[in-house]
Amino acid sequence: MLYCCVFLGRFMGDMLDDSSVMARMQKKFWKTKQVLIKATGKKEDEYVVASDADLDAKLEFFRSVQSTCTELLKVIERYQQRITRLSQEENELGLFLHFQGEHDKTKAGNMMNATSKALCTSAKQRMALCAPLHRLHQEVETFRRRAIQDTLLTVTRMERARTEYRGALLWMKDVSQELDPDTYKQMEKFRKVQSQVRGTKTQFEKLKNDVCQKVDMLGASRCNMLSHSLCTYQVFYIWEF
Amino acid sequence: SAYVYMHTNILISFTLMQFTDKRFQPVHDLTIGVEFGARMITIDGKQIKLQIWDTAGQESFRSITRSYYRGAAGALLVYDITRRDTFNHLTTWLEDARQHSNSNMVIMLIGNKSDLESRREVKKEEGEAFAREHGLIFMETSAKTASNVEEANGIKIGPQHPTPSSTLSGSQGGQHAGGGCC
Repeated sequence: MLYCCVFLGRFMGDMLDDSSVMARMQKKFWKTKQVLIKATGKKEDEYVVASDADLDAKLEFFRSVQSTCTELLKVIERYQQRITRLSQEENELGLFLHFQGEHDKTKAGNMMNATSKALCTSAKQRMALCAPLHRLHQEVETFRRRAIQDTLLTVTRMERARTEYRGALLWMKDVSQELDPDTYKQMEKFRKVQSQVRGTKTQFEKLKNDVCQKVDMLGASRCNMLSHSLCTYQVFYIWEF
Repeated sequence: SAYVYMHTNILISFTLMQFTDKRFQPVHDLTIGVEFGARMITIDGKQIKLQIWDTAGQESFRSITRSYYRGAAGALLVYDITRRDTFNHLTTWLEDARQHSNSNMVIMLIGNKSDLESRREVKKEEGEAFAREHGLIFMETSAKTASNVEEANGIKIGPQHPTPSSTLSGSQGGQHAGGGCC
């Protein structure tokens, strides 16, 4: 039994030595061809593309999550700046009216005093919005750095596997043109390509599944995060004004 | 000996194993591109080698499987009577088969898994109607109980072998009696 294994191992080793360089070259060739097709925007096999439709839809959603999160971060930053500026201006106007009201003993002075109080309070309350906004900013930033980054990693790995798989399919299509199962040489080659397709397909499908699940999770957790963070913001906004 | 080439468009685990070594395998690996089977049969005292190409049903292999229709003498179009979607796909497969083969290729429609009557989704009459409409021979079989599997191939090979064997034996040439085994 042991002998058998050793012998088989040696035999396989010899075979690999003989053909591995050639096989590697061919694998590289078809992969490069696929890369080229994609890079130059040449039309890909429509059925292969169609069979990935669900995956591509998920990827589109992922890109939208990615871009909208970055956009949201920018908007929050700008919003915070504006709120701070507005609050400052309000406060200054309040102080100015207060100062003027002190010197004015008429009814107008009273009104200026009252308005100044209202303005100063409003300025203070407006600043209070900054805390939940800051928290939201932090959470979105963490989401972008962790969750999106992690998904992006899987997407990149999946794309690599997809290129390998599509390259193998190109190769298979090529050897299928003149296939005759009764010719040993042809069959040997076909089996080699077949196992290459099977291997890359398994790898690709595993990663495809990973990507689909991760993107679904990403969407759900973003909803969760936003409804949670925006809740505190809303409470502030409604109750304080 | 003459060669008869048959391509089967197999969406489900079906006759290749059953027909070539009379075995039913409940778990069937997904076909990558194509699998081959071969069998010797005798018609009118003549030995004929039947080569069966079981092509992949997955969409991503569709452009690849198109090159396998070339030179086929007949096609078995197989659907699963317990899955309506496999029946619905027939039209596209039929189109492909007609478009990429020579015009005298005989096509046979087969509703497989007839042993699973309780889970049937496609009525036998529907299969018959589809076959009549498109000029196909029709039969329901069970690869599990082997009912009608021999008949499906027998009926089909009988009338059609004279035409294709003459055209194909020359082009393919080989003399391997053993044939491609999978």
